[in-house]
Order: sequence, then C-alpha cells, then structure tokens
Amino acid sequence: MSAGAPVPPAIDPVGDVAVALGPPRDDARLARKERLQVLIRSKSFIAGAIIVGFWVLCAIFGKLLVPQDPLASSPLNGLEAPSADNWFGTDRLGRDVFARVIVGSRDIMLIAPAATVLGTVLGTALGLVTGYFRGAIDDILSRLIETVLALPVVLVAVLAITSLGPSNVTIILVVGFVFSPLIARTVRAAVLGERELEYVAAARLRNERTPYILFAEILPNVMGPVIVEFTVRLGYAIFVVATLSFLGFGVQPPAPDWGLQIFDHYGLISGGYWWPVLFPAAAIATLVIGVNLIADGLTQAFER
Amino acid sequence: MARFIAKRLALGLITLFLLSVLVFCMANVLPGNVGRRVLGPFASPTAVAALNHQLGTDQPVLKQYWNQMKGYVHGDMGRSVSTRQPISEVLWPALGHSAKLAVLAFLIVVPLSILGGVVAALKEGSVRDRVITVGGLSATAIPDFVWAVVLLIVLSLGLGIFPSTAAWPDGSGILTQIKYLLLPAFCLVFVLFGYIARMARAGTIEALDADYTRTAVIKGLPQRTVLWRHVLRNSLLPTIAVVATQVGYLMGGLVVIELIFNYQGIGQMIFRAATQKDFPALEAAVLVVGVVFLVSTLVADVLYSVLNPRVRLGSADS
Amino acid sequence: MSRNQTNRRVDEIRAKSSELENHLIDEYSSGRLSRRDFVRRGTVLGMSLSAVGFLASACGTGKKTGTTGGGGGTAVQAGGKEVQVRAGGTLKLGMSPGPSTEIDPIKVADEGGLGIMSQTAEFLSWSDSKLHLQPRLAESWKPNADGSVWTFKIRQGVKFHDGTPMTAEDVAASINALSDPKGGSNALSTFAGVLSKDSAKATDASTVTFELDAPNGNFPYLLSSDNYNAIIVPKDLSGKWEKTFPGTGPWKLDRYTPNSGVSYVKNPDYWDKSRIPKLDSQQVKFYPKEQAQILALQSGDVDVLIHFSPTGGKALLNDPKITVIELRSSVHREVHMRNDKKPFDDKRVRQAMALAVDRNALVQGLFAGKADLGNDSPFAPVFPSTDKSVPQRQQDLEKAKALMQQAGVSNVSLTLNTWDGFELGDLAQLLQNDAAKIGIKLKPNITDAGTYYGDAVFGKSPWLDSVMGITDYGHRGVPNVFLNAPLQSKGVWNAAHFHNPTYDGLVKEYTAALDIGAQRTAAKKIQELLLDESPILYPYFYFFLTGTKKNVGNVEVSAMGHYDITKAGFTTGA
Repeated sequence: MSAGAPVPPAIDPVGDVAVALGPPRDDARLARKERLQVLIRSKSFIAGAIIVGFWVLCAIFGKLLVPQDPLASSPLNGLEAPSADNWFGTDRLGRDVFARVIVGSRDIMLIAPAATVLGTVLGTALGLVTGYFRGAIDDILSRLIETVLALPVVLVAVLAITSLGPSNVTIILVVGFVFSPLIARTVRAAVLGERELEYVAAARLRNERTPYILFAEILPNVMGPVIVEFTVRLGYAIFVVATLSFLGFGVQPPAPDWGLQIFDHYGLISGGYWWPVLFPAAAIATLVIGVNLIADGLTQAFER
Repeated sequence: MARFIAKRLALGLITLFLLSVLVFCMANVLPGNVGRRVLGPFASPTAVAALNHQLGTDQPVLKQYWNQMKGYVHGDMGRSVSTRQPISEVLWPALGHSAKLAVLAFLIVVPLSILGGVVAALKEGSVRDRVITVGGLSATAIPDFVWAVVLLIVLSLGLGIFPSTAAWPDGSGILTQIKYLLLPAFCLVFVLFGYIARMARAGTIEALDADYTRTAVIKGLPQRTVLWRHVLRNSLLPTIAVVATQVGYLMGGLVVIELIFNYQGIGQMIFRAATQKDFPALEAAVLVVGVVFLVSTLVADVLYSVLNPRVRLGSADS
Repeated sequence: MSRNQTNRRVDEIRAKSSELENHLIDEYSSGRLSRRDFVRRGTVLGMSLSAVGFLASACGTGKKTGTTGGGGGTAVQAGGKEVQVRAGGTLKLGMSPGPSTEIDPIKVADEGGLGIMSQTAEFLSWSDSKLHLQPRLAESWKPNADGSVWTFKIRQGVKFHDGTPMTAEDVAASINALSDPKGGSNALSTFAGVLSKDSAKATDASTVTFELDAPNGNFPYLLSSDNYNAIIVPKDLSGKWEKTFPGTGPWKLDRYTPNSGVSYVKNPDYWDKSRIPKLDSQQVKFYPKEQAQILALQSGDVDVLIHFSPTGGKALLNDPKITVIELRSSVHREVHMRNDKKPFDDKRVRQAMALAVDRNALVQGLFAGKADLGNDSPFAPVFPSTDKSVPQRQQDLEKAKALMQQAGVSNVSLTLNTWDGFELGDLAQLLQNDAAKIGIKLKPNITDAGTYYGDAVFGKSPWLDSVMGITDYGHRGVPNVFLNAPLQSKGVWNAAHFHNPTYDGLVKEYTAALDIGAQRTAAKKIQELLLDESPILYPYFYFFLTGTKKNVGNVEVSAMGHYDITKAGFTTGA
C-alpha cells in the first residue's frame, strides 16, 4: 500500500551466506536457541515480563488477593481519600478503588489478548494469501484492507459497537477485525520476501499443495514479524479497549474496568478527588508499557 | 509518475465506494428507527411515522442509498436527520477545525520528534538514547484521554495558563485560536512523539550504517555536512511515511480529545452522528475522512519517491 | 391600616371572589393551608397577586406549616432576595447537553430545547421557583363553576419582535397546534384527556376560552411555562421557528449555531418595562459532556451553569468561588416492577423490594443530600396537594425478608433494564446491592436511550416490556401527568402493567377536584393505595441545581429547565 517499507524487516531473511536449499531443521533450532538467549539477556524484556506477569497474576487471582469486595457499594462512604482501610480510597459509590483496580485487570487481560489473537490469526492468514498469490486476489483483498484502514480504529469500533451493542464478545470481534489489516500488511511484506527463496521453489517442485507451502513452509519463517506484531498490537489493543470504555462503549457497569472507572470519575478531579482516576490510569499505563517493553525485547531478539 | 497517480486515484475511488457501502450497511443494521430517535420516546406513533415519511427513512434501503449517492454527484450532501440542517454547513467547519488542530500539533511534534530521534540515533545505546526512546514509549502508552485530563488539571485549573476548552469565542483572531488549541495540541504531541521519534531514529541508524555515509566520511566531509546532506534525508523518509498514517488519526480519530475539550472537530461529528443514528451525516463525514486519508497517503508516497530516487513507483507497492 | 379597615378590605375581596376562591381563603384562615400553598393555589385559580398578597398577611394565623428546602451545604434557596447588579455586560452560560434536534416549538422534548425557546418566546403565565403562576401574556384567568371551561384575558399592546401585534388569535392558534393529534406535538401527552383539538377559541381580540374534556382544577398550569411547548407564536408561522426564534420575549435572537451555542441581545421594546434585561446580551454554549461544562465554570470560561447534576458537579458544591442555587423539584425515577409477571405478581415481593431500598443512602450517595425522599407515589413533597401525614417508608430489611418468606420467593435472578444517562446506571448498581440483601439477584442491563425506549409502544420497547426497569421523569408543576400515563390501567406509559380500578377512580377524583382540600383528600387515598400495592418504586425527587460565579446575581431558574436572567447581572467587576 503506502510508501515502501521504512521499517527494516524484523527478520533478515537472507544472510549473505545462502540458505540455499531451505532452512535445515537444526539450523532453525540453533537460531531459536540463540534468540532465546538474547531475549533473556534483554533488560527491556525482563522488565516488561515482570510487569505483565504481575497483571496476569492479578487477573487470575485478583479476587483472592484483595481484602475488600470490588462490587460492594456503600454510598455513604463515597469518595473517601486513601486510608488504612482503603489503600486507594473509595470511588463515587463507596467501592474500594484498590480492589477495583486489581480485579479490573481481568476484563482487559481477557478482552485485549483475545482481540489481538483474533486479529493476528486473521491478519496472518490474509497476509499469507495476499503475499503469496499476488495478482487479482491480492489487489481485491488489498482494496478491502485499505477501506477499513481508511478510518481511525476508534471510530470504526464505535460505529460497529453502536450497531451491535456493547458486549465483551462484540468488542473482541470488532477490535480483532480492525487489527487484522494492519497485521496483514506486515505479514504480506515478509511473505513477499520469502516467496522468492529457494525452499519455496523446492517445495513447489515436490508438488506440495499450496496450503502446505503456506502454512508449513513459509509461516514458520515469518513467525518473527508475526510475534513482534502481536505484542505491538496487544499494547494498542489495551489502549483501544480502555478508550472505548472511556467513551461508554466498552465493558458495562458494574464491572470494575479501568477505562470505565476513569470515565465515571474524571469530572471529579477538579474537586480534588484524584484517586479514583489516577490509579486506574496508572494501571493502564503500566500494562501498556510492560507489553511494549516485551515487544521491544522481542524485536531485538529477532533483529540479531 | 502521472500513471502512478492516476492508478492510485482510481483505486482510491473504489475504496471510497466500498467505504460508503460499509457505512450504509452498518447504519441499516442499527436498531431503532430514525423518526423515533429524533422525537424521543414520548411522542405518538403517528408523529413518528409522519417524520419518517418526511425524511424518507421509510423507503427501501437501496433507494435511500441511491438517493444519497446521487446527491453527492451533484455536490449535495443532504441534511442531517437530527438537526435538519444541511450537512455541509456543519461538515466543512468541522473539517477546518480538525485541520487547524492537526496542523498545530504537527508543527510542534514533527520537528521535536525528528530532533529527538536523530539525537538518540547518533549515540545509539547511550543513556540519552534510552531516555528518549523509553520516555517516548511511555508517553505514547498513556491513553490520550489521560493526558488530556492531567494537562487540564495542572495547566488549566491549577496554574490557569490555558483555557479549559478549545472552543474559542466567536470572532477570535488566529493568535487567540492558537492559545485555545495549545492544550489539546500538547496532548497530541505526547501521544505522537514516541512513535515518530522511533521512526526517525530507525531511519537515522540505517542511514548512518549505509555505504554512502561511510564513503562520505572517508572522503573527509565534516560530520555536519554528512548529517545534513545524506543522513537526514534518509531519516526523513520513514518519518514522512509515519506522519502520513497519523493524518488519518488526527483527522477523525480524536473523538476523545474533542469531547473533553468541547471542540467541534470531525471526530466529534462522527461520534455524534453514530450515537444519534444520523445516517446521512455519518456517511458524509466518514467519506470525507476517507478522502483525506487516501489523499494524504498518496501525497506521502509521492514525496517518498521524490526524496528517494532509488525507489521506483509501482514496485514500491510492498 | 387599622383592624377595621383590614377586615372591610377582606370582605370586599371575598364578595368579588368565586365560591372556589372563598373556600381557599377559608382553608387558609383556619390554618389548614400554609401561607405558601395559599399563595400558590390562589394564583392558579386566577386571583390577582395583589389580592392574594394582601389576604396572605391579613388572614394568616401565624402558624408555620410549610417546609423549606432540604439538603445541607452552603447552597442558596432559589427565589431569594434580589441583589443590586450593575447594568450592561454579557453573561456567558453553559448548557449541558444542548438541544439535540431541530428546535420546533411543538416538538421539542428536551431540556436544552425548551431553555432556548423560552428566552425569546413567552407563555400565558410563568410558573416560578415557588410554583406560583405569574401572569405573562395572559393578564388573568377564571374557571366556570365546575372548572370545565376556562377563560383567559390576553394582554394587549404586546408585539412580536418583528413588530406585528400579538392577539388572542395567535394564542388560540398556538395552543390548537399543540392539541391537534396530527401535529404530533410533544404536548399531546400533557393534554391527553384534558384538551382536544380546536378547543381554544378566540372569542374577541383579547379573550380566549378553553373548553376542556373534563373539569380540571390545575388547568392553568398546563398553559404555563410548565408545559414548555406552549409558547405563543404568530398564528401564520410559516417556515421554521428555528430561523429567527419569533416571540414576544425580553430577548431577541442574535445567532444560533446548532451543536455549538446561541446568543441573544436584549429587547428594549419589551412590553413589561420592569423586566427589560439589565444585561446587554447573553451567550449560551452547549457542552455534550457535563464534565466539560463543570470545568468551564471553574476556570471562568462561563459565568453560569444553567443545570448541573450533584454527582457530576460534586466539586462545585464546596467551591468557595461558586454560588450554588438549589430548587426543589419533582424530577424523579420510576423503578417499575411488572405486576403481571413473576416474581412481582405477588405484591408482598414488591413491598419487600421497596423495603429493601436504603433511600437515605441513595440521597446521600447520589445527590449529596440534595434530594427529597420519595414515598413510592408520584406525590412529591414539593406539591401542595401532597398529603404529608402519610408516613415515609424507610428501609426495613427484617420486614422485607419476612415478606419474601411469606411469598415463598427466594433466590430469584432478573435483569434490571435502564439506559446510561444521568445517575441511572449508578442507581441500578445501588439497587443491585440492596436487592441482594433479600435474595433478589439483579443484573443491570444498561444500554443507550434509544435501545431502552425502543419504539415506545408495548411489545416493542424494553422500557414498557421489561420485568424491571428504571425510567427518568422530568419535572412537572402538578402531579397529573405522573398519575395518569404511568399508572392508569389504560396508561400509555404503564411499564408496571398496573391495572387497578380503584386507583383509576381515585385519579379521576383528584383531577376533578378544584380546591386544595379535596385534592389532598384524594391524594391521601392514592398515596396509601400505592404504598400498599407498590407497583413502582419512587426512591427520590431530586433538586435542580444551578451554579454561578460569586459575582453574578439574580439568576432565576425553574425546575423545568427554564432560566430567567432578565434581572441578572454582575455585582462587582467582570
């Protein structure tokens, strides 16, 4: 679609030393081991993994970890400042903010990754097909992809959710579909590089069927960009889901969703009630930063 | 070049057509009928039916679409269903508003980001590089509405430097308008800086590594000349590409910023049209945003090829 | 004036008064009516303000029976003393949200639209902050013996902004446009069963008679600012009202930009010289999100917020730079429970639900105390016809659990439907908490308004079809509308599917009653019946809040959403 590929491809598909007859299995295994070592040594990756790991734990065990019930409202104790009883204070309806922030990780840790997985699967499939076949199929599908890309993500999501109603499933489907074109583009670029290689020609000579070539031969070699795209998109998915909640189109009350909490309380900051907004905002920020750090580490590992 | 542009325009038209169909389908899947939405729940069913008839929303779906498209060909965008005003009276000013904010934001963020990216790239891996990269990354990670709220509290309410909305009083001069737009522009700067700086940095690193740079250095050219003539030009390329993709976001994705700052931009218009199920306004606004995006990417591609003669247009289609 | 002269004057007035009015004076003299209610009732019946004012002091017993506004804090009561303001200047106001559709007088149904209309156009009378009716385009009005025909004297010498005179024919045409079913007016719901089409007749240049479908003691309210569509416009109004905002009012349209704002300039030829605006002009800005308008007031971008909610504007309530004006109103929420579906077909379960609700917590938590407790009937404390002797229902979890046990109902799950505006979502969540304590598991389903209201007819609307839902009702000056459509057997808004012939009869009794005593008697019976049957929960009636900068004075508001700044201005600086 647009101007060239300003981003250097995440894998260097051809070293100067040729991969003449295809990536031998043990060569691939060696490469993987090397990458893993780079990863473990990468500070970004470690830092990101710790942060994300923390939130994953919260998402799974949240309810057990918090002393108060995130859904128990107590209207007479609304908007109380952080104290020994309520570490992060209480929100407008008297609910404990700490509990809501910790437990609130669950929805976003379910929805955002699910949407990203959906988008990645779809996008990879799309990218494989358009990159390999080119020609008419490529043109038509690329047109469609561009259509969806012509609009900002949030708007498309808002439009879709207005039609279909805000439920968790809708959000996952919508965000997933909206992401797939972006991922498709990157995969397509990588596939374009791969398809001219010898091992693909060799497979064709062996009369392998096309799906086999696509998924068994090419796909493993573009996994690098796919994984990196996945993590980058994941960060963005969290951002989008939070924004949708902020606009009132996301997770529905009384779920303790972070974007929803900010939506409910941001008008109150000027009165000095900063805690119901600051803590969920910090949660969103740390999670997205954590995911981006992981993506950073992965990029380094695959760049070699 | 001319053929390339022509081909792209033609493809662009197809995209726009598909877009219009997409919006149309979504609009007609929407629950609730238009007349009821406008008159509210307590109006009588006869009144609702009368209004639907008046608006033409009781006609078959295809016919409505055809009428809409016919209108566009004649330059008539139709009337908004909720306000009954001609859509063009709202749409062009909204576009202008979004454009003003976008230009202001770009004027601030692009030089800043390029500077940051180049500086980071020159000492790759250094402390200052990590600070710029990670700092920019963190800033981008924070959702735009969080930035908006924080800046509002600190700079507007707290220090009183900036007004709390972007809606300037009627008849203000350009300087006053800029004053009102600075706060939302700053939010955008925070959000975009990290991404653009990263691109500039990557481009600069690649350029620094390239053969022609090494040749220039070996030739004995001073570092500054090397920077200016060779490196910058090549680090500009990815930046341009990225900036072009952000135009779409700035000209329609700013719903949240526009809502918080009460700014009548295109993003708010689309959001309002969607929530009010105002299909004609929605269709018109979405198509306009689509056109802006397609034009901006086309311009970016042309610029890219002009700046990088090694790229042949047509095969740059990767 | 000596005692003798006073008595003689009183007798003079009584002699000229109708039977109805004399009855009212009797009630007041014997102390059965508070002074405030007497004044209010008197203006409704069409007694002149001077007579009412005189009688109020002459016949008063000195007993205080009325109540003043509730809620704590430093808020000022509406309708306070007038302060000195300097002439001139431009007042900037914020409105949230603004008008959502085209402004057509007969169709407007939202607060934004009505506030805009009543700046340049006027009504026959104005329902003020104390629910008194002040004459405007009508000088006076009188009922016939049984209240089935009302005659209004129209003020002469009044001109529309373009210079054409306003006559009785314009009045008749304006009102007939509202009562004509083909016009699809929003006011049809108010006039249903009261005024049919073409029932307004201009009998001469200065008189209009209204022939009602049935006797109605509160009819003048239906032609006051309470019925916000009832502005008087030129009879041959061609083209859209929105183009020039034609009217007779103290403000003229300067410019209107939909979705952005509107500005007005003062009308120096206004007929009421005492109410020509002190300010030169006003600018109103529309804010789609309430938070934005709150910030605007705090940072000084606007001088006045016409209406803000206690939840959104909590910061304003304690801000020393802001004056908050509070006004008791009858705005409320109706939590309906379908009487014909399980588990609410057993009234014990309904009563249990009603007893589980912690109303005090709702008022504190949702409104910072700025609301009256609701007693599960439409009779808000602000209405004079409300019988205040009926005991206020309070939370009683023990009794509620016992009732549930008696009914043999436990561990039910159902969906609580509502939409995402105002505090409805919060109310739903708080009700969920309360209901859980007696074994009712509520699952809130909060959609947008369009989805919740659907097509607004039975069978096609979650509002009217759901087993349990929360609906918002705006303020009215009298409870008639609330008694009819949502609760009558044939009511078109009867989401509770409540069919009770005794109730229907009592409502007829109330509507026909022309004097306050009879109204109260009927009200008491209705209130007790509804407490027993509990088809709908009315948890509260909240206050209307207006915010102004400390240096702005004399802003008047009505709980309907109108605002009147003819006497307003800046006290210092600005």
